[in-house]
Amino acid sequence: MFENIALAAPELFTINTMMLMMAGTFAGLLAGAIPGFTIAMAVVLVLPFTFTMSPVQGLATMIAVYVGGLSGGLMSGILTGIPGTPSSVATTFDGYPLARSGKPGLALGIGVWSSFFGGVFAAIVLMLVAPQLALIGLEFQPVDYFALIIFALTVTASLSGDQMVKGLMSGLLGLLVATIGSDVVFGQPRFTFGSDNIEQGFSFLPVLVGIFAFGRLLGDVKSKEKAHQPLGGDTHVVHIDYIGSAKEVLRRWGNVLRSSTIGVFVGVLPAAGSTISNILAYDQAKKTSKERDQFGKGAIDGIIAPETANNATAGGALIVMMALGLPGDIMTAIMLGALLIHDVIPSPSFITDEPKIAYSIFLAFFVANFMMLALQSVTLRGFVLITRVKLYMLTAVILFYCALGMFALNNVSWDMWTLFFFGILGFFMRALGFPIVPLVLGVVLGKIAEARLSQVFARSDDITVFLSRPWSLFFLILACFSLVFPLYQKQVGKAAWTRFYPPVLLVVMAYPVFLMPGTIRPVVAVLMALAGLVLAGIQIKRGHVPQQPE
Amino acid sequence: MTLNRDFFVAVFFLVLSLGMYATTYTLPEPMFNQLASWTWPRIILVPLGFLSLVLMLQSQKSDDETVSFSTLRQWLVENSNPFVCFALFFGFLLFMPVLGMLIGGLIYVFLTLSVLGGWTPRLLALHAGISVVFVFGMWATFSLALGVLLPEGTILKVY
Repeated sequence: MFENIALAAPELFTINTMMLMMAGTFAGLLAGAIPGFTIAMAVVLVLPFTFTMSPVQGLATMIAVYVGGLSGGLMSGILTGIPGTPSSVATTFDGYPLARSGKPGLALGIGVWSSFFGGVFAAIVLMLVAPQLALIGLEFQPVDYFALIIFALTVTASLSGDQMVKGLMSGLLGLLVATIGSDVVFGQPRFTFGSDNIEQGFSFLPVLVGIFAFGRLLGDVKSKEKAHQPLGGDTHVVHIDYIGSAKEVLRRWGNVLRSSTIGVFVGVLPAAGSTISNILAYDQAKKTSKERDQFGKGAIDGIIAPETANNATAGGALIVMMALGLPGDIMTAIMLGALLIHDVIPSPSFITDEPKIAYSIFLAFFVANFMMLALQSVTLRGFVLITRVKLYMLTAVILFYCALGMFALNNVSWDMWTLFFFGILGFFMRALGFPIVPLVLGVVLGKIAEARLSQVFARSDDITVFLSRPWSLFFLILACFSLVFPLYQKQVGKAAWTRFYPPVLLVVMAYPVFLMPGTIRPVVAVLMALAGLVLAGIQIKRGHVPQQPE
Repeated sequence: MTLNRDFFVAVFFLVLSLGMYATTYTLPEPMFNQLASWTWPRIILVPLGFLSLVLMLQSQKSDDETVSFSTLRQWLVENSNPFVCFALFFGFLLFMPVLGMLIGGLIYVFLTLSVLGGWTPRLLALHAGISVVFVFGMWATFSLALGVLLPEGTILKVY
């Protein structure tokens, strides 16, 4: 590995490449920070400039835009509550409330450091175990993807807490919306009611931005007094304590490690991406946190988890792109195109055949995270000025930017109407007490789920395949436990059955893990089962002691 | 029976599920041994209908107040600002083919700012300044710097 790094370093660490990467990171930060402007748009715009560059220079520049964009998204997500991409949906859950409670500096600082640590973790993983990890991606078949999507949807519904039924209905409505347009298998019109526009379906970005932008912004200008308040409340001076934020993130190193691992793992699965990873990491952070009741109100762990995971997913997606030639998301699809333009064809032997380019990409990803950190320390100071702007001014300008950005996505006016319709839908759903995140995820994942399901049925009509494939069974069991989790959370310490929730989870999960290939995972499964049995034994011995009411 | 908010929501979802489920019968049969285009929607609609019933039952157990015309009117008054914003945005999209992104955007941002912010001469001047700087700035970035063909409208033929 070190000789490969030594081979790649002189190619990457030239003044020209470093300058290009710096410019790319800055462009990405700007693109990510402007609501309505997406990272994919920024990378596509940069792509033609890389044609005349060497492969290493071109790819390093694009990676810099990618990393910058991922981190730029957190600025708009935290300060305005509008996620620029589905990968920063969960960041808004706690980032925005923390910013609104007069601590925008802390929220941004935590977000930046989390992005940095997630990115660095993924870069290290990239360099150490890229080819081995990519093989896990190969184990996944359509049935496993379908189960993973079902799990992701149940997680968002379970995050709805007391509103579980409404959360599930919201997710199902999202899935239903995704069926409108044309059928993914044959392309036949479905639920179009004779409209040509509806036949195009609904692109997920206008849906996402519509639901969040209108809901958040219009909720903030309900009354005249509220509309005239600045975004950051009465806080006049926004102080960004970088060292304090870094300490806060490092103090929660367990969350950083767990979320980074989730991020890399999800990134390794082709076409899963950071849409799923940020939600899964947030869910795990909430489930394991001692400050669960603070989630949704500005919990620091609630910012760390999604921001760490989405940057780590970028690293995971690069692994699959290089080792298997499979794009994990739209960004890596563009990156794959860039590789092919430079006559570099990814394959399982790519890392060993082209170590200079492969390790340049790893190093570029690593270095881009440091550049992002340095540039954020400058740009954040400028961006937090937005907190002094009155809410009604932000509302008017941002809604226009959203419309313009959505039109520019595909040069289709229908996307602006989609933004409007889903703005109304999001506003009413919020008003009626429906959580909107499951709705968004349903729309984003609906088409993928149907496509995977059709692939499952194209192979066989046998539905037992959902239970016989280890990964599928793994995710379906997790989905079941995830659905019961809100009840467990409510009853823990009060009802006797809650004492057996963790041990049963361990024992049941051990079965699919045991079925997985190799030797390490079956051994882990045996350890899981033993731990579960020991825990259950302890609980039986201890007996049920109901919690005394306070 | 309590006719509260969740009850009406549940009825809406139930009708939606039943209506959409009935519509799936108009979808064509698959040509080969593939997933039919109605299979996935039905997989979604059955639990959605079931959950609507659960919500309906839950609504009868909850203490939420019964919906009346006065509570509805109060809610509409409380949310008048958002409704005005929706109306202005609707107008912006409706007149886009005539006004285009630039003129339509300028008018939309100016009107939204003034409706929400106030109509004093000082504020009007400020709103006009904000509209020109931010709308023209973004329009110029997209159309002149990035080469995106934004709707030009029939009034202003830019290209």
